[in-house]
Amino acid sequence: MNSTTQLSRPLLYSLTLITALVVAPHFQRLNAVIILAFLAVLGLRWGTLYFSGWKPGKLVLFTITLMAAILIFTTYPLLMGLEAKVALLSLMLGLKLMECRSQRDLIVVLFLGYFTLITHFLFDQEMLLVGYVFIMVITLTALLVEASRTSPSEGWHFKSLRYSGAMIVQAIPIMLLLFFLFPRISGPLWNLGVDNSTGRTGLSDSITPGDISNLIRSRAVAFRVDFDETAPPPQQRYWRGPVLWNTDGYRWTRTRYLQTEPVSYRSDAPPISYQVTLEPSPNDWLYALDLPETLPSEATLLPDFQIKAKNIRNRRHRYAVTSRLSYHTGSLNERERGLGLQLPDNITPRMRDLVRQWRSQNTSDLALVNQSLRYFRSEPYYYTLTPPLLGNNPVDQFLFDSRRGFCEHYATSFTSLMRIAGIPARVVTGYQGGELNPLGNYLIVRQSDAHAWSEVWLEESGWTRVDPTAAVAPERIEQTFDFDLEENSILGIPVIFSTGNSGLLKDLTHQFRLGIDAANASWHRWVLGYSKEQQQKLMQQLGLGNLNAMKLAIAMILAIAVMILLLLYLLRLRSEVKPDPVLKDYLTFCRRLSGKGIQRFPHEGPDDYSHRIIRKRPDLRQSVNAITQHYIRLRYGQSDSPQLRRTFHRLVRQFRA
Amino acid sequence: MKELLDQVIKEAGRIIVGKEQTLRLALTCLLANGHLLIEDLPGVGKTTLAHTLAKLLGLQYQRIQFTSDLLPADIIGVSVYHRGEESFQFHKGPVFTQLLLADEINRATPKAQSALLEAMEERQVTADGKTRSLPQPFFVIATQNPAHQIGTFPLPESQLDRFLMRLHIGYPDEQAERILLSGEDPRHLLKQMQPCLTIQQLQNLQQQASKLHIADALLDYIQDLLKFSRQSPRFNHGLSPRAGLALINSARAWALQAGHKQVLPEDVQAVLAATVGHRLHSSGDTGIDEGPVLAQHLLQSVPLP
Repeated sequence: MNSTTQLSRPLLYSLTLITALVVAPHFQRLNAVIILAFLAVLGLRWGTLYFSGWKPGKLVLFTITLMAAILIFTTYPLLMGLEAKVALLSLMLGLKLMECRSQRDLIVVLFLGYFTLITHFLFDQEMLLVGYVFIMVITLTALLVEASRTSPSEGWHFKSLRYSGAMIVQAIPIMLLLFFLFPRISGPLWNLGVDNSTGRTGLSDSITPGDISNLIRSRAVAFRVDFDETAPPPQQRYWRGPVLWNTDGYRWTRTRYLQTEPVSYRSDAPPISYQVTLEPSPNDWLYALDLPETLPSEATLLPDFQIKAKNIRNRRHRYAVTSRLSYHTGSLNERERGLGLQLPDNITPRMRDLVRQWRSQNTSDLALVNQSLRYFRSEPYYYTLTPPLLGNNPVDQFLFDSRRGFCEHYATSFTSLMRIAGIPARVVTGYQGGELNPLGNYLIVRQSDAHAWSEVWLEESGWTRVDPTAAVAPERIEQTFDFDLEENSILGIPVIFSTGNSGLLKDLTHQFRLGIDAANASWHRWVLGYSKEQQQKLMQQLGLGNLNAMKLAIAMILAIAVMILLLLYLLRLRSEVKPDPVLKDYLTFCRRLSGKGIQRFPHEGPDDYSHRIIRKRPDLRQSVNAITQHYIRLRYGQSDSPQLRRTFHRLVRQFRA
Repeated sequence: MKELLDQVIKEAGRIIVGKEQTLRLALTCLLANGHLLIEDLPGVGKTTLAHTLAKLLGLQYQRIQFTSDLLPADIIGVSVYHRGEESFQFHKGPVFTQLLLADEINRATPKAQSALLEAMEERQVTADGKTRSLPQPFFVIATQNPAHQIGTFPLPESQLDRFLMRLHIGYPDEQAERILLSGEDPRHLLKQMQPCLTIQQLQNLQQQASKLHIADALLDYIQDLLKFSRQSPRFNHGLSPRAGLALINSARAWALQAGHKQVLPEDVQAVLAATVGHRLHSSGDTGIDEGPVLAQHLLQSVPLP
């Protein structure tokens, strides 16, 4: 390789294009100005190639570099955060491309390209991106192959693409070894640099009217659930999240003043066990079906049956839970009673009047709860995702004026009314429902399944779930929340729930989406979910016991060394002449005879050998002659045919000395 | 065709008793259109063998007895001034024949030897600036005494290389000798002998032999043989590409006379000693001809896949 050889123009064209493609996935997170600058540099490169007469001098290049540096430092002062570093890398890659003249420069650009590909994984490890990076690695390697040609190349060769593809495929065993044996660091490695402030969608620990409306619009997955047995029916899928006790009449929040006593409840329902794979969220709680029983080790159950966990923020987390679907939480302590009856200042007389009216008709708490649900059902309340804005007393305004809203409005209003009636009540947020993916047989719970409901404490049944939304829009609970949001975006229009059969195309796209989700779920579960624990488990299954990181690393290096030696050996074998099947069969024949003491001399021809055999074993004359004649015709004659080969093979197989 | 050749061997066997293998090799050499060198002690039947072959194949036959004072003109011919026509006229020498027996070739000086060897290679003769073709076919059967005998000029390697084969006749075994001693005078038999082949038939056979199929596997084997001769420390120098060609041609001819439809490794092995024996030299040159031993070593060292 001569470093002074001029690079061919087609090669540089492809290099420019591929550089753009390599950086492309970063565009979604880079500042628009940086992207423009990067593309401008590539465009300039393209221009200098197209108008071959014009080449930017050192001064021009220096000016461009200086401008790029200024741009970076003004956009990302102090280069804080990963994005700034990625921006710097991308621009430097583009600039290196500008001065790419010799073979050496080309190789530097290509290696920078490989490095840039790795940086994508700092942000995202989805299957799609991995596929993309895979393709880009093959393309970059193909360029490297192309650049290493000794003869002047004519641009793009399909051959080098095939060659690099083969190289990547050959590297797969080593890749797998690295994957399985590389010491895992517990906890996310990349968390160090990722900006925590870039919020991810998820339920928050407080609600004010309007919050959940935004969530409903997001189709993003909140978590996926694998049930050990069959999944419970949709009406029972209440995924419990934060429990809200405190209210100032406007906002509902959690409380810190719960008694810490052992949490327990009575239940005679069979336990349901399942695994939840939680998508990254900024929260520190886990979700489980009402009510959770056994929890993963990192989690604790709060007295209001909310699950708090350590070290789960912003990373994918998989945990196993068991729940029981019917329960009795037992008696109420004074502190909980106090919190469950706490009322804000802005309770209006008409609210009190309504409750007083109910109370006069019903003596038991249960009857009063039912009365209120009947009220929601019979009065003109509508379920809508775009309720009108409410003022500083949303409960009152919703109940008596607007009467349009979604789960949050219903849950908070209902809870307020119950508290006025003297029944301890609280708001529970979480997710309701979820879509069963028949392709992977698991449940997908999306952000659009976010929900809020109430719990009241009744003498007969302890804390009891009451979902006032179900009274207004039972379809919300029984069906998947899947409707065209655009159609319903006009303010206050009641939601019409889809009934399911909505055309073949939509059905197909739905199936396709489910398929992709199933693939993604297994990707998360088996590839990204391969944690330190999984690794230890695998090692134990292999009989290696508990290996610490150091031993694991040594094992990995040893395994790779063995594999490389094996590959070298295989390569050597391959370079040797492959014995053709005819010869193989003949050698089998010779082996059988040498077992009987008639060994063929290494230099002995087939005819001589057959004569010698027949002299010693005249009884074998017929078969030996037939085999020898066939062998001679196949190996030394011109009459080669598959049929002859088959006959020969059969003769040898049937030969018994 | 095999029958035809077997007939030749059978007839020749009446005169050269108990030497079937040698006869077959000699015939093979002629079928491969090559020249033959017979090396042995005087009196074992070298001349008779050449004479018999000439007779059986129906070839014109000339014999030159090489001596130390033999001149090239004695072989090629000479231009003599013709008084009547007032011009020089070329009188063809004994070389203008179809089968030439060069008896005791190593008794002549190198100058005379080289005159013959040129004719062998080019199959033409140049005298007085005029090139004359030799008749077709043209074979030379040369005999020589073992090199260690007194009064011999050993043939240089380059000239030995021009002979396709070198044969040893050796003493006959007891039984054969008995027949020989008790039988008719070979010279008398020879006179009565009728040709078994026409020249046309001989040329056809040569043609057929050169077209016999050689499989890649066999070429591999031949190349292995050549490679071994070049790499093994046992040999002073390896076999030349010409030796390889000689091996292939001889093997083809042998396969033809053996009645094979294709050339087999056995055919190569059968002609190996005769074809490469005079081209191989032991690395520690002892002065003694080790050809047959070396050829045998070569044969047994190269495995047949």
